[in-house]
Amino acid sequence: MNDENRKQTWLIATPVIALLLWTVVYPNVSVIAGSFENGLEHWREFASSPSDREALTTSIVISFASVVAALAIGVPLAFLLGRFEFPGRKVLRAVAALPAALPPLVGVIAFLFLYGESGVVTRSVQHVFSMPEAPWRLSGVPAIIFVHAYTMYVYVFLFVSAGLERFDSTLDEAASGLGASGWMRLRRVTLPLLMPAIAGSALLVFMNALGSFSAPYVFGGGIRVLSTQILVSKLNGALGLAYVETTVLAISAIAGLLLFRWLDRKRKYTLSAKSSRQRRQIKSRGLQTLTAIGAVVVVILLVLPHLMVVLVSFARDGAWTTQVLPPEYTLDNYRRLFSEAELWKPIVNSVSMALVATAANVVICFLAAYLIVLRRFSGRKLLELLVALPWAIPATAIALGLAATFNRNDIASLRVLLVGTFWILPLAYFIRDIPLVASAVESSLKQMDPSLEDAARGLGASWLLTMWRVIIPAAKPGLVAGALLAAVTAVGEFVASVVLFTHANRPISMEILAQLRALAFGTAAAYSVLLILLVLAMTFAARGFEERIA
Amino acid sequence: MMHRFPDRMRMRSLLRAAIGAFAIAGAVACSSDKRIVLTVYSPHGKELLDFLEKRFEKAHPNIDVQWVDMGSQEILDRVRAEAANPQADVWFGAPAETFDKGAKQNLLEPYKPTWASAIDGEGKDASDNWFGTYLTPEVIAYNSQAVTEADAPKDWDQLLDPKWKGKVVIRDPIASGTMRAIFGAIMVRSMQQTGKPDSGYAWLRRLDANTREYVLNPTILYQKIGRQEGTVTMWDMPDIATLEQRTKIPVKYVIPESGTPLLVDGIAIVKGTHHPAESKLYYEYVTRPDVLIESAKQFLRIPARKDIPAAQLPGWIQDALKQIKPMPVDREIMAAHLDEWMKYWDANIRNRGGK
Repeated sequence: MNDENRKQTWLIATPVIALLLWTVVYPNVSVIAGSFENGLEHWREFASSPSDREALTTSIVISFASVVAALAIGVPLAFLLGRFEFPGRKVLRAVAALPAALPPLVGVIAFLFLYGESGVVTRSVQHVFSMPEAPWRLSGVPAIIFVHAYTMYVYVFLFVSAGLERFDSTLDEAASGLGASGWMRLRRVTLPLLMPAIAGSALLVFMNALGSFSAPYVFGGGIRVLSTQILVSKLNGALGLAYVETTVLAISAIAGLLLFRWLDRKRKYTLSAKSSRQRRQIKSRGLQTLTAIGAVVVVILLVLPHLMVVLVSFARDGAWTTQVLPPEYTLDNYRRLFSEAELWKPIVNSVSMALVATAANVVICFLAAYLIVLRRFSGRKLLELLVALPWAIPATAIALGLAATFNRNDIASLRVLLVGTFWILPLAYFIRDIPLVASAVESSLKQMDPSLEDAARGLGASWLLTMWRVIIPAAKPGLVAGALLAAVTAVGEFVASVVLFTHANRPISMEILAQLRALAFGTAAAYSVLLILLVLAMTFAARGFEERIA
Repeated sequence: MMHRFPDRMRMRSLLRAAIGAFAIAGAVACSSDKRIVLTVYSPHGKELLDFLEKRFEKAHPNIDVQWVDMGSQEILDRVRAEAANPQADVWFGAPAETFDKGAKQNLLEPYKPTWASAIDGEGKDASDNWFGTYLTPEVIAYNSQAVTEADAPKDWDQLLDPKWKGKVVIRDPIASGTMRAIFGAIMVRSMQQTGKPDSGYAWLRRLDANTREYVLNPTILYQKIGRQEGTVTMWDMPDIATLEQRTKIPVKYVIPESGTPLLVDGIAIVKGTHHPAESKLYYEYVTRPDVLIESAKQFLRIPARKDIPAAQLPGWIQDALKQIKPMPVDREIMAAHLDEWMKYWDANIRNRGGK
């Protein structure tokens, strides 16, 4: 690498790294420092506590199981939709990302109403088989994994789909021409080429499951995981112990990060051509019927939680007791919602905060991913770590760190007063979504032939022109997918919001929480319906945008 | 994917979208009128807070009340985190235990309200850090479709009866001030009778054996009781009365015969408030006799002030106040040991099935 090139790399890298150090690392250093405020005392307390050890093990077990479950659903579904043509494909494609449109708290509540002990599905099964007791109880580790698989397979699905879209089918054909069997081609050609997408999304699922809060919060009555244990300690006033638990959670996450990076280490393949997107028609009649039935079942499973939320939004609160379905329906919930003078305020707040955060994510994460994938420089490993770090830190801890750092103006210690202002939540959303956008862009860029950039430069294209003509087009599938996911996550964000929101920037999730607190399940559901519609509208807008710039 | 030379139009539309996003955000961030903003942290719920906000703002048109609705433990946590730069002016609502912690950590601004003498020693802080607003008696509640009035447990100890095995659903006591108060009262009783926590732990162990589930959220608790996933619970009387009178959830309460912890819910001014004068106005307003009576009628809150004529309160409150035998709870023992008891319970009793 020549000197000019190196200088340029650092010119981009320095501000990006500095910004990440300031917003991601700095607040969390104070959390770690806090765990040592009494020397090793809090650490000893952690080590000697059986419930904390149990929480650690359970957290890790749940996270790995969630990865396995999400891969088991996401990869086949991406293949099915990406490679085959069959009746029902379009509908399935349209709803496949739907779980991402279910805000975390709302999704968990919908699951409770569906599969909980007194849920619709549970009671239906109980009635059909006239069982004296509910056939299952939705609680504990399996319940959490179930919810995680449902909500998080979307990451795998979107990443692998994006990977398949960039997939060069001539390679497959060449292998086939050379006599490789289907299984052989899958193992030696397809999977290695998709490894960046699979490893990247598996990492996201792992991190998300590790820091997941609302599922254990609602279903975990009997079990402990670290993310809820942190809350328990914090509410018990044992802030030092909470800091230790946060640090341990972060260490587990970083171990997970290293593991998945290691799985992804052997990337030697690059794709240079644009694939010809051809889907194979499923020909056999029997197989056609089978896939169609399968698609219908999957579509129903995917849509049920949303339907449940809609159903509850029309149900009269409290009237639904031992029946399978709510017995009384009403428009009151919506009426109450629309009579609310400040109805639009949380919605406007959430949308504008999500837009700001996502805009920042797109710029910073694109630059970071570009540096990580296509530039060789000494700060690369550091940057890679910085970008993945926010997944390693539970949202509660991100929020706590921010609250402790940006609570006053003090230039000497690099503090700016953001707590209590509008800007603290966009910052939190930005931080939370860095890994999401960055790894989506990374996996797109990894499929690009790195020599293309040098080739363009060698042919005399300026750096900006190369960016525009070569790098950005290559990054685009990941960039759009990542930005969409980021915006959707931000608009329904719950965990960091609950710690940092103020009256001025009260987001939708806090409005839903307030309604739940007031026992207005119906109104909360009605609000959730609005939120889901909003997320769908964003998804369509993003698709339209994608088509326009393509 | 054909890309023409850098398309200025496209660049510009991207830029415009980004600038637009920031402009909207800026506008949202800065849109406020010239009134003084008074920030209230409170767990009392949207309806009561809305009601008080409207009445108060009518009386004081220069003040804009902005309340933030969250649980009392969360408020303590938040006020503590914001101590360097307080965001809240008034902290309206938390059990005495929580306020005591806040006072100990120097988070509260002492203020003696004009009606200080209308509250006796139990209902206020000795150094005026907080004063009681509402009384919350703890009760046993049951699903009235699944359990008859005659069958319902009449006292705390009856909850340990094996016939309730798998029927008790209670809120996770770690996260709930109400449950902490009940568990604390059981433990204090043990300390007062034997000087040791052992019999209290044994009691809690037997309760654990009967408990089907610890729920992390009151709303889900109501839901589970209403839908008969469990049929008995322990909770506070005003909330159960609200369910009984305002919703269709079939639930009734029993005031425990041997006595019940009578929690005092209070109000305080946050240390470092930017608007001390306005905070005091709000403090005084929400505790005015007419406002308290209105809160009792519309929102089922039992006023803590002793100078409110009982005849003006709703009938169910008058009845309840006659029946309730306040359990003597030594706040000092509670403050000294409660965290330790809860930690022991969490590590050694929870979900052990009574073993």
